[in-house]
Amino acid sequence: MIELTGITKVYRTGSQSLEALRGISLRIGKGEFISIMGPSGSGKSTLMNIIGCLDTPTAGEYVLDSDKVAGLTFDQLAAVRNRKIGFVFQNFNLLPYATAWENVELPMLFDGKNGRRRRERVTELLNAVGLYEWRDHRPSELSGGQQQRIALARALANDPPILLADEPTGNLDSKSGEEIMAILTDLWREGRTIVMVTHNDHVAARSERVIRLFDGQVLP
Amino acid sequence: MNLTLPRFFWSEYRKRRKRAALITFALFWGTLSILLLMAFGQGMSTQARVSFSGLGQTLIMVYGGQTSLPFEGLPKGRPIMLTAEDVDYLKERIPEILRIAPESYSFLPVSAEGKEVNRTVHGTTAEFGIMRTQVPQLGGRFLNADDVALGRKVAFIGWKVAADLFGSAAAVGRTIVINRVPFTVVGVLQKKIQDSMYNGPDAEQVYLPFHAYRQIDNRRRINQIHIQPRDPARSKMIESRVQTLLGRRFRFDPADRYATSFWNTIEDAKEGQAIFRGIEIFLGIIGALTLLIGAVGVTNLMYAVAKERTKEIGVKLAIGARRRVIVQQFFLETVFVFAKGTFWGFITAFNIVNLVRLAPINYDSFGIEAYLLRPEFSLKIFIVYMLVLGVLCFLSGIFPALRASRANPIESLRYE
Repeated sequence: MIELTGITKVYRTGSQSLEALRGISLRIGKGEFISIMGPSGSGKSTLMNIIGCLDTPTAGEYVLDSDKVAGLTFDQLAAVRNRKIGFVFQNFNLLPYATAWENVELPMLFDGKNGRRRRERVTELLNAVGLYEWRDHRPSELSGGQQQRIALARALANDPPILLADEPTGNLDSKSGEEIMAILTDLWREGRTIVMVTHNDHVAARSERVIRLFDGQVLP
Repeated sequence: MNLTLPRFFWSEYRKRRKRAALITFALFWGTLSILLLMAFGQGMSTQARVSFSGLGQTLIMVYGGQTSLPFEGLPKGRPIMLTAEDVDYLKERIPEILRIAPESYSFLPVSAEGKEVNRTVHGTTAEFGIMRTQVPQLGGRFLNADDVALGRKVAFIGWKVAADLFGSAAAVGRTIVINRVPFTVVGVLQKKIQDSMYNGPDAEQVYLPFHAYRQIDNRRRINQIHIQPRDPARSKMIESRVQTLLGRRFRFDPADRYATSFWNTIEDAKEGQAIFRGIEIFLGIIGALTLLIGAVGVTNLMYAVAKERTKEIGVKLAIGARRRVIVQQFFLETVFVFAKGTFWGFITAFNIVNLVRLAPINYDSFGIEAYLLRPEFSLKIFIVYMLVLGVLCFLSGIFPALRASRANPIESLRYE
């Protein structure tokens, strides 16, 4: 499903360049639950951004669902992010002025889904994360755990086969963190591919496989 | 068309609208300025046309003069005195003439019911009424062809003459006496604005059928000839033909500029309209510049909003928004800001124009207020306004929208 071959990412600022990823090759099969771990600056986020089609590699090949990502335009990448990938961020990244309902609805609006389908799906997702009663509340009126559950519902809006979670429990208390991990585990059991970045060994232990990065390379 | 996204953008905009209050006011003010300036400009232009037509519609007036060049053995300095026969002579030879009328006048005492005033009394024909916009008040009429042919003792008088002699009582059917000859009033001139005249405004004149006038002023010469061309565009050609024919008849050099003189109101009107068109354009530009200040404010606001929402844009891009969605949102928000400010500016300008138009114009002392108190809206103003607004709205919205849409999703997500 996700196949990275010789991925290199170099950031250039003026005359200086920084090699964030150095020839990473990685294969993540459909329905796998992967944790990516490593110290700060090891390239975890860069790798996640490339897997999430938010960024493109300087060199190497990325094949997602048999399609080469390198040749896609900005809007084609947006369409891939919209339909195939769900993002869960450490700091939730909900739209502050939108209600819980509107936040969950947004990816479907970008996908052009009709009103009836959107209503049904948002209702289903908010019920699934136990926050239907909170649908008219804005993020500032919700707890961290509730916000992350809304973010999870939003990530699932277009029913993507891949979920990318960047430190999903990093800003949560242990109880809320457990709840989020329970939901992620359920989603994996349903057949979704989960790629999670974490610093937490306990959290990483929930995954099937742990990939450790150091200085832009995968540790053997 | 799916309106869900615009509705969503609207709900996002509403949450920020307080910030746009000052900008909204600038747009309100700009719209008010451009619309009022254009409405007053057009009103002035229209009033100038109306007041100019108070003298007459597409009119050429011909006056006799004095020769300044010797011609065919005749010396210079000969007076050229036009007569009623010249009217027929010209009419027969210039088919481009639609109407033609002679006019003679003298300053004479006019009395009625024990009151006497000195006024200019004119002798002319029925066609003069049409050419010189002599519109009668209800219940009266101008001189007709029979009045002229039969030499009837009837008179058409200006509204000020009627007021001077009869006060507020009806003048039609009453008798006025001029040089001891009684005339029956058949019509009183309707009030009109008139900024071009000779011998004073028409409101103070008395008009008699040409032959009846001859009984109180038996001079053979006439003061002037009025000509209305079939095609106003050919007025200069008619002038030239008249000069040539009169030169042949009175034996003067057609190139002699002083033998006759012309008052070509068609050419004057063109010049007048050009001046007022210039004023209209100038006022419109000032208004547009005022609106431009508001538009610059909107651009600044939208740039600030784009900066402030960097993270939000990053989130939207991350969850699958395409560039055009971001452009659409910023552009629509610009339209919302513009729509709000300009709508109230439009309503206010519309009401001000209609209120000002309620103010009465003093026809007795026609002055600057006649130009200022009749602003008007028209389709032309609306189209010009919408074009200016559209261009400014587009320019205000497109650059911040494009900048926002080109945001790098990763950098935007990191933005705090």
